[in-house]
Amino acid sequence: MKAHIAAVGDIHLGEDLRGKYRAQVAGIEHRADVFLIAGDLTRHGTVKEGRLVAEEFRDLQIPVVAVLGNHDYHSDAEEEIADLLRDVGITVLDDNSTVIDCNGMRLGIVGGKGFGGGFAGKCASEFGEPEIKAFVRHTKAIADRWRIALKELDADHKIVLSHYSPVKDTLEGEPKEIYPFLGSYLLAEAVDSVGADLILHGHAHLGTEKGNTPGGIRVRNVAMPVLRRAYACYCLDGAG
Amino acid sequence: MTDEAPQYVAARVQQALAEDERTHELGIRVDVRGDQLFLRGQVPAQERREIISTVASEAAPDLKVRNEINVVEVRDPGEEEAL
Ligand SMILES: [Fe+2]
Ligand SMILES: [Fe+2]
Repeated sequence: MKAHIAAVGDIHLGEDLRGKYRAQVAGIEHRADVFLIAGDLTRHGTVKEGRLVAEEFRDLQIPVVAVLGNHDYHSDAEEEIADLLRDVGITVLDDNSTVIDCNGMRLGIVGGKGFGGGFAGKCASEFGEPEIKAFVRHTKAIADRWRIALKELDADHKIVLSHYSPVKDTLEGEPKEIYPFLGSYLLAEAVDSVGADLILHGHAHLGTEKGNTPGGIRVRNVAMPVLRRAYACYCLDGAG
Repeated sequence: MTDEAPQYVAARVQQALAEDERTHELGIRVDVRGDQLFLRGQVPAQERREIISTVASEAAPDLKVRNEINVVEVRDPGEEEAL
């Protein structure tokens, strides 16, 4: 049996797109078993936008699993936005996991926003002023929670759903100067230490779709401006 | 006071586009050439393209805004990738 996964990030919905995205996901149940959303659902992170997102994604015929992105945090309403999404049946992950029954296979998803810091050899370290230390500690804490969640996950296939990128490969096209704000290798390191079948992320609008972790796990940047499609479809084989 | 260097003007416009609550756009490229301000990138709706011009010209009122931002149509999902 196979698992068909639809994924997208960075939809950045606003009033001007009301109904449009919904029309584009019509029929998604014929293409995929599950819909994964990689953060930045809103533009300004307001409760009003959260309500719009919930309306756009409600009553899809397949399970929807989402993480939030930095835009969804902008107005300090991330908890309320997550609750609005949960109210319409969407699973919102925040450094934890969920298991979905997919044609008799258990598809496990570990998800969270992730964070920045940069990539091996060219990254921030926990040194100096408290602001820098707090920045790096935030990413480390997230990576640790993902590692634990992955270890504890009992599933046939494991997917990691993030907003920030775990690798540089999928940032190709972004200015190198901002890489530390686009992701962190600590996220990839955590996933590589346990293993997974696929990592999905968004956030890097100018990046590229396909990459790998140093450990060889496939990474896909599903930011909508990168895909230029309503969502991407991936298929995981039951043999895995 | 000397004329502001074009790099600072471009940086100010970029910050305005990111921080202004009408836009919050992080992916727009801003270049200043002489008295012209070039905006490049892509957005999903015409309204967003226009408001970016407005915010940019407020941040750099002396420059002529050249809005080269594309409004991109989102296509169908297309082919599935087997992993
Ligand atoms: Fe985004
Ligand atoms: Fe983002």
